[in-house]
Amino acid sequence: MPNGIFVTGAGIISAIGNNKQETLSALQEKRSGIAPLHYLKTSHTEFPVGEVKLTNEEMMQLLDIPETDIHIRTSLMGMIAVREALCHCGLDPQSPQNVAEMKGLRIAFISGTTVGGMDKGELYYLDFLDNDTQNDYIATQNCGACTEMIADYFGIFSLVETISTACSSAANAIMLGAQLIRDGRADVVVAGGSECLTKFHLNGFNTLMILDREQCKPFDANRAGLNLGEGAAYIVLESEESARKRNIEPLARLSGCANTCDAFHQTASSSDGEGAYLAMKNALASAGLKPEDIDYINAHGTGTGNNDLSEGIAIERLFGTKTPPVSSTKSFTGHTTSAAGGVEAVISLLALQHNFIPVNLNFSEKMLELNFEPYCCDTKPNRFQKPVRFKHVLSNSFGFGGNETALVFSKVDFKVFKEFKASAVYILDAKQISIQSPLVEDWMNNPLPYNEPYIRAIDPDYKLYFEPNVARRLGKVLKRALLTSRQVMEATNITNPDAIITGTGLGCIENTESFLLALLLEGEEMLKPTHFMQSTHNTIGSLIAIDTRCRGYNSTYSHKGISFESALLDAFMQLKNGQIQTALVGAHDEMTPKYFTILKRIGYLGNAENGFSGETAVSMMLGAEQKEGALCRISGVEALYCKELKESKDLKFLNFLQDRLTQILKKAQCSFDDIDAVMIGNSGESANDQVYADICPTLFPGKKLLRYKHLFGESYTAPGLGVYAAATCLHQQRIPAHLFLDSDEKEQKRVKNILFYNQIENKNHTFVLLSACGE
Amino acid sequence: MEELILKLKGEIIEVLNLEDVKPEDILDDAPLFGAGLGLDSIDALELIVLMEKNYGIKLTDPSQGRNIFKSVRILAEYIQANRKK
Repeated sequence: MPNGIFVTGAGIISAIGNNKQETLSALQEKRSGIAPLHYLKTSHTEFPVGEVKLTNEEMMQLLDIPETDIHIRTSLMGMIAVREALCHCGLDPQSPQNVAEMKGLRIAFISGTTVGGMDKGELYYLDFLDNDTQNDYIATQNCGACTEMIADYFGIFSLVETISTACSSAANAIMLGAQLIRDGRADVVVAGGSECLTKFHLNGFNTLMILDREQCKPFDANRAGLNLGEGAAYIVLESEESARKRNIEPLARLSGCANTCDAFHQTASSSDGEGAYLAMKNALASAGLKPEDIDYINAHGTGTGNNDLSEGIAIERLFGTKTPPVSSTKSFTGHTTSAAGGVEAVISLLALQHNFIPVNLNFSEKMLELNFEPYCCDTKPNRFQKPVRFKHVLSNSFGFGGNETALVFSKVDFKVFKEFKASAVYILDAKQISIQSPLVEDWMNNPLPYNEPYIRAIDPDYKLYFEPNVARRLGKVLKRALLTSRQVMEATNITNPDAIITGTGLGCIENTESFLLALLLEGEEMLKPTHFMQSTHNTIGSLIAIDTRCRGYNSTYSHKGISFESALLDAFMQLKNGQIQTALVGAHDEMTPKYFTILKRIGYLGNAENGFSGETAVSMMLGAEQKEGALCRISGVEALYCKELKESKDLKFLNFLQDRLTQILKKAQCSFDDIDAVMIGNSGESANDQVYADICPTLFPGKKLLRYKHLFGESYTAPGLGVYAAATCLHQQRIPAHLFLDSDEKEQKRVKNILFYNQIENKNHTFVLLSACGE
Repeated sequence: MEELILKLKGEIIEVLNLEDVKPEDILDDAPLFGAGLGLDSIDALELIVLMEKNYGIKLTDPSQGRNIFKSVRILAEYIQANRKK
């Protein structure tokens, strides 16, 4: 897949060191970082963990951040690792010479996290509910906010995204990074993940009874579970062209990558390891390599009975009797969950660079079910003799919901070329459940009014659609996501989309909240595993995959109010480049009465009269081929991030946006005059609406403005419904009067192009250009 | 014992959110997992929590559940013999 994508920098912090050098020493000297609990305050002291050996205050000192600043541990660790990665590749924000060099570069930051600001959430949730003392931390509960705290420390990024697919998050962030470079959207991408330990997920894993009370023993016959760890690690990806221009010596090449879904169970891997097998197989294929080319596998190897068996079987299926050395470095770092893909990518790169194979600690007895044993000691006679020289390393990262990602790193003397043909992208159909009539075609023509500040979606009778045994575990958002997905698959007759890509701001917040409140009010015992296992953001995407047996690419974006467009961008790039033919893209968010009061505290819902919170469920089928009944074509998708330019009337800022808009239109071969209307995200919240009022006259002079939040209320993924509304206008060739921001406008017939524009806090800006299908 | 079996059925239905299942639908000797009610590994974990919460029985190894959760009757017998509350 990735064509000439270089790794030019890396940074890491984990239980075994605060940088690459310390990490390398620990690996070579076989020093594990797993130890009794020291930093996290929990009653579960029986579990050893891999903690970063620094307090938050010590990290803030290292980063030169005032102690009084709002901070979350995940962001602090992230900043330390990103700083090391940037300095490594000659883009140190502290160096004036480097800063000058950065001026002409488009630098993106893609981070994986699931926990986000939960370290503060579990301290202050009751305050969030009861009083205004900790309001500063409410916004940090969104994964995207955590990513932006890291990004804003450096202030050099013009595209910022957050992926939340549980324990494969960082590996998927690296995959997206490669895609952005391939697609010419960024010159340099810093990608990886960060995750701190929390009481929340320590207790969660405990409910699943998969935590070892001793040091974990991956791939051992007597393995008894995993040790949780924490950390952050990022790599710098760069196009070959950019690296040459900057005269940077690359560390390695990201030669292949793939993501699949096991489509089996939310927390268990299939017994034949099908998802893992496909991920590794596809990653090798994308790198143009054969199994025998791989010199070392850094396994996911959590140390649980289920993972190591399933992964081991998958490895044997692919590599046969010639299994290369396999080790799990989680025996050093613990399982750093969302950061694991980054941590292990950096470890794999260190192995490649220094020609050594990290050992698998704590191994003593071979698993009966497998023919191979992990690489555990290079002193005893072994078929992997030193000195090891190798070219290609495979790193596995698997997450809840069977989200499986495999990355291949190669020494740079190796090249693959593969061209893709460019394709058009269509929205073939969509289904929604919201405050508007669910699952019907004419929801937009007969809008239902509402005046409650907290508006619940209109739910169909799910008993008509789901077997009781399926329905019993599903919360609201899961039922809605699953039903809209099934229906759009049926309507388009696409039963096995190549990709399932979901945007969600809060994920299954009902489950997350139930688990957190039980933890806070009833203590750290007897918590419900069902609530925990459905608290990760990618529960939605994996549920759809499990229900439909779709084993293709499966990713989840959770970045504040641009979560949907992030998902759309990923699907758009893959379809446009011919990597996939069909993609199911979803925008799904639920609300709870308690979370509603929390968001109200920070003005997310605006002032009392106009503020309203909606729930979103929309599933769209995208395809590279136009089918009869297709709603519209997607001509362009763009996401931008600007930290510095806060003033929305600032001319420099407006020029920046205008410049990017011109480029999007040029790429789409659409002239500005051909845009019939611009759909914007006015919500009744005054600060939000003011930004549009400031920007629109300059950016879209003379254009008619459309709105959509009057139909649905505000939610993190409301833009999914906005894009659906715009697509429906293009399909029906009419814009109903109620969509116009100006109430004097009449219904408009004949529509060629609608530009969808969304901004969040004037920091995140997204454009989606939609065009009528034509004949 | 019959009383405990009936109580357990109600508790299982509640904790596993078995919509549309009535206590009389669960046969005393029918397997809970696999073919019977179609429960899975997460349900087993929920039942372990139930045993601790309601009967003070703490299992540390989930594989112990395999023998205990064979049927409601076997579960009731185990609880009867080991309950702490």
